[in-house]
Amino acid sequence: MGEADRGALQTMLMSRSLSDAELLAATDDAPDYAILPDANVLKIGGQSLIDRGRDAVYPVVEELVAARREHQLLIGTGAGTRARHLYALAAELGLPTGILTDVGSAVAGQNAQILGYLMARHGVPVVGGSGFAALPLYLEQSGAAIFAGMPPYDMWQHVPSDGVIPPYRTDAGCWLVAEVYGARSMIYVKDEDGLFTANPKTDPGAKLIESITVDELIAMDLPDLVVERPLLELMRHARHATQIQVINGLTPGLVTRALAGEHVGTIISAA
Amino acid sequence: MTDLDPRSTSKDVPSALMRQTLLDRGLVRPATDRAVIRLLPWLHVVGIGGRSIIDRGRDAILPLLDELRGAFADHRMLIATGAGIRARHVFGVALDLGLPTGALAALASTEAEQNGHLVAALLAEDGVSYLPHTTVARQLAVHLSASPAVVSNGYPPYELFEFPPAAGRIPPHQTDAGVFLLSDAYGAARTVYVKDVDGVYTCDPAAAAEGEAQLLARVDAAELLAMDLPTLPIDRIVLELMANAKHVKEVQIVNGLQRGNVTRALRGEHVGTIVTAG
Repeated sequence: MGEADRGALQTMLMSRSLSDAELLAATDDAPDYAILPDANVLKIGGQSLIDRGRDAVYPVVEELVAARREHQLLIGTGAGTRARHLYALAAELGLPTGILTDVGSAVAGQNAQILGYLMARHGVPVVGGSGFAALPLYLEQSGAAIFAGMPPYDMWQHVPSDGVIPPYRTDAGCWLVAEVYGARSMIYVKDEDGLFTANPKTDPGAKLIESITVDELIAMDLPDLVVERPLLELMRHARHATQIQVINGLTPGLVTRALAGEHVGTIISAA
Repeated sequence: MTDLDPRSTSKDVPSALMRQTLLDRGLVRPATDRAVIRLLPWLHVVGIGGRSIIDRGRDAILPLLDELRGAFADHRMLIATGAGIRARHVFGVALDLGLPTGALAALASTEAEQNGHLVAALLAEDGVSYLPHTTVARQLAVHLSASPAVVSNGYPPYELFEFPPAAGRIPPHQTDAGVFLLSDAYGAARTVYVKDVDGVYTCDPAAAAEGEAQLLARVDAAELLAMDLPTLPIDRIVLELMANAKHVKEVQIVNGLQRGNVTRALRGEHVGTIVTAG
């Protein structure tokens, strides 16, 4: 943007309402600086991977340990079966979404600790909260860092239209990390080959979709989905993380290939 | 497909949501459709505008704090502060440098926090302290058992995890949204936004011709959204959030520059604009 536009934006920021349409349009024209452009964010599924134990987790950890020499890795964790128990129990007790978010977040934290123990010997730390400020150092020193994937919304989590399950969970949290840091890629490591037309675990007729846009996917209004639904809405407004790939972490080699930029699962793109 | 049977290798905790993706509405609903309880049904939440009140300095702040002090005997309250002009400045610096919305949210939140520290310092002798987000989320009950009020940062703790907005780069969840989300999560009795206007007008009363701006005394959130007014005294996202709220079905916007309004609104009197949901 030109000098005159820059000045106009500053003036509007100091004088107008922050919801003013002209002001918002002017902020749109500001440059986009990617904070960690070489980082790759990977989400390791809770229910889909970590809850399976070593058959699933050891091979993925091996791939991550090898890949960090070539790629910077920000490894986020999902929550899984204990979070489902907590959500069911808390919902039965009539507790609000904010409480479910808090307790669910702790489960993603445990899974981050678990991955942290497995990668400790390779110098890979677990970070959280203000520890995010040290990410650049960790990435440079050990090529990777682990974080709990749940966004820190706590008692301020959005309330869903139906029920009390927190709508923004670890899929959204990991994507937001990729978006804010301007990461190179966002890879979801799950236990399916990608996105299917229905839940492949319960519907044998489910078909794999190799690539799709967010708008197409929203229009399909599938009854079940491999990623959290609100993530699709967030992606529509992406400035950096305009594409995600969902891959099968149970198939050896796919994490490595996805990091190399290969299309080995489902690619969902913002446009 | 994989050769591992998903059921043979997973270590599950039995629950009504076991093995669900949590995304199939038909499966989630039976396990989660209980009525939500109000955790703190006596809580009063007061959001103090940053730009509208705090930036005006002592003439606006001191009488308002006197009013709040006067209400401490009747209501236990969470006072949440807005950010104001310094947040505008830091948005300007950060946008010029190309920083993302999440970075802007974290920077602006700091400004609301500093305003909270100022307000808490002025109320300290009444037993009021500033509480950080984690304490508000975990220990509000004990603090409000020991003290009539606490002060906190109105910004929700979204920071780096702030949503990229639909238009532009300004964080969509600012202090009005933070106040609303927290109030609903606690099932608060009342939610009052203290601003420098009498409520919601059909157009900006400062800019419009005499008599053109109409005050809306009571308005439905969805209708207000549909009116698509050029400016609103509270963040638009609050109107959207109201649709899903479990408890907070109305909020009141009052003019904190007029003595008595806040006291009356805390008692449940109608002195500004009441925005309702559903």
